[in-house]
Amino acid sequence: MKPARFEYIPPTTLEAAVAALAAANGEGKILAGGQSLLPLLNFRMARPAVLVDLNGMKELSFIELRGENVAIGALTRHREIEHSPLIASRLPVMSAAIRHVAHLAIRNRGTIGGSLSHADPAAELPMMAMFYGASLTVQGPAGRRTIAAKDFFVDALTNCLEPEDIVVEIEFPILQHDGWAFEEVARRFGDFALASIAVSIRRGQFGVGEARVAVMGVADTPLRLEHVEQRLCEIAVDGRTPDRFAEMVTSSVSPNSDVHASAEYRKHLLGELAKRAMQTVLAVKG
Amino acid sequence: MSKDSLAQPADVLRPRHVGAPIKRTEDPRLLTGNGEYTADRKPDRPLHIAFRRSEQPHARIVRIDTAAAQTAPGVVAVLTAEDVADDFKPVIPFSRMANYYATPTLPLASGKVRYVGEAIVAVIATSRYLAEDAVELIEIEFEPLGAVSRSETAVAVDAPLLHEEAGTNVLIAREFRKGDVEADLKGAAVRVGGRFEMTRKAPLAMEPRSYTAEYDARRGAITLYTSSNIPGIVRDAISESLGLPGSRLRVVAPDVGGSFGSKGSLYPEELLICIAARKLGRSLKWTADRLEDVSSSSQAFAEIVDAEMGFDANGIAIALQADVLGDVGAYSIYPWTCGLEPVQVVSFLPGPYKIRSYRGAVRGVATCKPPTGPYRGVGRPISTFVTERLMDLGAKALGLDPIEIRRRNLVRAGEFPYRIASGIIWDKTGFVECLDAAGEAAGYEKLRVRQAEARKDGRLFGIGIASYAELTGIGSRIAVAPGMPINTGSETAKISIDSTGAITAAFGVASHGQGLETTLAQIIADDLGASFEDIRVIQGDSDAVPMSTGTYASRSAVLGGGAAKRASALLRDKIKRVASYLLEANHDDIELSGGKATVIGTDRAVTFRQVAKAVYSDMKTLPAEAREELSASYTYDPINGTTAAATHIVAVEVDPATCFVKIHKYVVAEDCGQIINPMIVDGQVHGGVAQGIGAALFEELVYDEDAQLLSASLVDYMIPSAPDIPDMDVVHIESQSAVAGGFRGMGEGGTIGAPAAIANAIADALSPYDIDVNLLPMNPQRIFGLIEQAKLKAKENPK
Repeated sequence: MKPARFEYIPPTTLEAAVAALAAANGEGKILAGGQSLLPLLNFRMARPAVLVDLNGMKELSFIELRGENVAIGALTRHREIEHSPLIASRLPVMSAAIRHVAHLAIRNRGTIGGSLSHADPAAELPMMAMFYGASLTVQGPAGRRTIAAKDFFVDALTNCLEPEDIVVEIEFPILQHDGWAFEEVARRFGDFALASIAVSIRRGQFGVGEARVAVMGVADTPLRLEHVEQRLCEIAVDGRTPDRFAEMVTSSVSPNSDVHASAEYRKHLLGELAKRAMQTVLAVKG
Repeated sequence: MSKDSLAQPADVLRPRHVGAPIKRTEDPRLLTGNGEYTADRKPDRPLHIAFRRSEQPHARIVRIDTAAAQTAPGVVAVLTAEDVADDFKPVIPFSRMANYYATPTLPLASGKVRYVGEAIVAVIATSRYLAEDAVELIEIEFEPLGAVSRSETAVAVDAPLLHEEAGTNVLIAREFRKGDVEADLKGAAVRVGGRFEMTRKAPLAMEPRSYTAEYDARRGAITLYTSSNIPGIVRDAISESLGLPGSRLRVVAPDVGGSFGSKGSLYPEELLICIAARKLGRSLKWTADRLEDVSSSSQAFAEIVDAEMGFDANGIAIALQADVLGDVGAYSIYPWTCGLEPVQVVSFLPGPYKIRSYRGAVRGVATCKPPTGPYRGVGRPISTFVTERLMDLGAKALGLDPIEIRRRNLVRAGEFPYRIASGIIWDKTGFVECLDAAGEAAGYEKLRVRQAEARKDGRLFGIGIASYAELTGIGSRIAVAPGMPINTGSETAKISIDSTGAITAAFGVASHGQGLETTLAQIIADDLGASFEDIRVIQGDSDAVPMSTGTYASRSAVLGGGAAKRASALLRDKIKRVASYLLEANHDDIELSGGKATVIGTDRAVTFRQVAKAVYSDMKTLPAEAREELSASYTYDPINGTTAAATHIVAVEVDPATCFVKIHKYVVAEDCGQIINPMIVDGQVHGGVAQGIGAALFEELVYDEDAQLLSASLVDYMIPSAPDIPDMDVVHIESQSAVAGGFRGMGEGGTIGAPAAIANAIADALSPYDIDVNLLPMNPQRIFGLIEQAKLKAKENPK
């Protein structure tokens, strides 16, 4: 279980990194935290000719308040997000979700840019990007451009980037909410989620005024359930709301079966989590 | 040794080491990274091996093209079965069993492949990287022969045959009978039964299998470093296969990072590395990566058991019958044979119970999977699962408490030795004592109250019990594997004092994590009267230790410990003889303790060092005839061996939302006889139960219909992690066994009891749904499926 031969390039500027990727002619890969890439290399499931290591670019590691957004550099480690007071106060759902990312050793190395680019359908950070409606700044040969999270995740382990593109930073809009919840079930502590849901609401004049709902582990990409958000704003809030919400959520996904969970079981789990999440959300006084 | 580690700190004159919680002497080395595992060996300019393995489950090898690999950078040799055909004799896992077909062990697949992961070509290169690069250049043309993925399909008349010469896929068939089961079942007041299944497991040692063959050109000799727990058997088998005498084949098992059975058999790669080292005249290294370890090391269990038990109106189990179908994989493993695991199931099904009549039939069938082999518990995790489920089903049918039904059926103190219906003889062991002690430690009555309260709140709270007995430390009267000719009945200890007074104790029994360096030294310290710190235990090196078959079957404390006691007694006499010269005292008036020989009741004493100096180094202290080497060896055979037993009680709760099982309480009451080191005993119980929790709730090698492994990585092959393992209470019933030292083997028990206890607890928790738990692991998606089914059934047939 050793990787195939590759050329290792540690550029010190983004321009050089993009150039190196462009020169690799589609055969290049970016090394950030390496927590998903290195196993793929060792299994020879990924066999890039060139590995462009971004770890020398400390300027890609930051968490800062930028107007109504929190901006996070692509090379920021999960552990820094986990311990950031700014994230805790401005992006509390993200703060809750990040604790479910794998294990300490992995959080010490893994980066947000890497996790988003890897686009695992059962990973927390891609789900958070969908939940918050994040926008990703990407550097390519033609300069910088911005991509909305909803356009970024194309399929399982597939994003919309070109081979020479590098995610540079991610802006997360700060959500106003009167209640939020993040729920996840994984087989063991630190495992990929069997199912997960994030919910937040703002109370309106009657019931829910605004809602945000995202799920993962139940489709090829994380999903934001906008029609469910809308429906939530249309129904009366009462004791039956958690059950009705669970029904709305489960009826809008059709998960696959794998060795860990049948489709029915995943759906059941998601429903239970949705119910629990809505109970939490509504228990918070507006 | 600090004072608080003594069993009786007040007994200053005769400190006892046996029974004391002495910290393991091997740990400082292992925990600070100073151990030496096989992969740590650094021979001169070694070459590295990578294997091209089969991606086909069952296929004829039509053509192998290695031309491109041969010329790849760094490649020194590319070997196929054809290339090494004249370099060895096949190793045959012989057995005298009737209805058994012994498949030969070959270094590389020859003619056809029989499972995904089987090694076909060995590439030998200057680095593992380059070897793996070259492996990708090998082209093999296969002619598929049809996958045999399940035991039920393997026995079908039109199933493709894995071994055509055998004429059948049934590699082993056996039946045990006692009494008239049919009549007893007919006359039974209550009959319970079902089809039970324990899925395939990977033993999954932390250190994957690893071999280093060091070639000595001066003597044409090979030293094989191997991560094996049977280095003696490996040495003899390779010696025979390669025609290489022991003087030119040294086998060393250095520090070994766990086995759980996976390193307890001879492997094709072990043969290949020695063949290639001799052929090339070079030192070679190979360490399995995790994928290779999971997909080519011996696997475990994989049995389906149709069983039925009959009880009389008083809850006495009178009859048991079972048909076991074991999926043994593609080959019969050396030396244990493919009978080891499934035959053990029928041997142990009657368990610790006095069941009058019994019929147990077993078939071990070949499938396109890696061979099954030894796994902590061997056979008994399943036999206990089945029998303990039947006991609970019986209790339910008769309205008896699960503890009560067991109490009525267990062999009792006055009834030992007791021959159970399958023919196994239990020696005196605390069966009922374990049951009672576990019940008391668990607060069984209170647990039932707690359960009743939980049920009122609609919670799924369950209590599970499992009692079992096992044979441990068995001697020459019983073969560890049925009909196997290798002597597993004796072990030798060789204890020497050198000219500096240091003591070296050489044991054939190998250690792969059991702490034998500590426990054997504890025994010697007491029995020789030596200072614990002066004793060095050496193991696993065929040049330095007596011949041994190794460590397996919970034998090393009993056989190694017994040999240590007897050899110590012999050496003690020699020391006393010298001391009586030096102290001018009568032999019988001398006492040995703490590394000193003292004239009883006086302060006249000589140290072992002085004794050694007198024997080896001084010209005139001793007369020539008294200069006898301070060395003794003894080969100990416990003949029948001994029994070990335990009762496990576990309380679980099933979360109806997630279908996860939470373990609230875990109690083990076990009888391992005289405890040598309570810290090690507790650790063995904890580790064994953790492994049993894996079998009960998590671990499963999933093969699809094409016999492709779907759970080959640790993402998909789930083992319990630390948060999944509860605190455990361990109660020790130390009833002395009949063997030397009164020890009993105890390294496997945790894994035997836990799956059954947890299965019973889950069934109890789910009893509001009337769900039968008959398949392990009971993972959340299975529990979900069972609950859904039960709800559907209730809807269809409302009561």
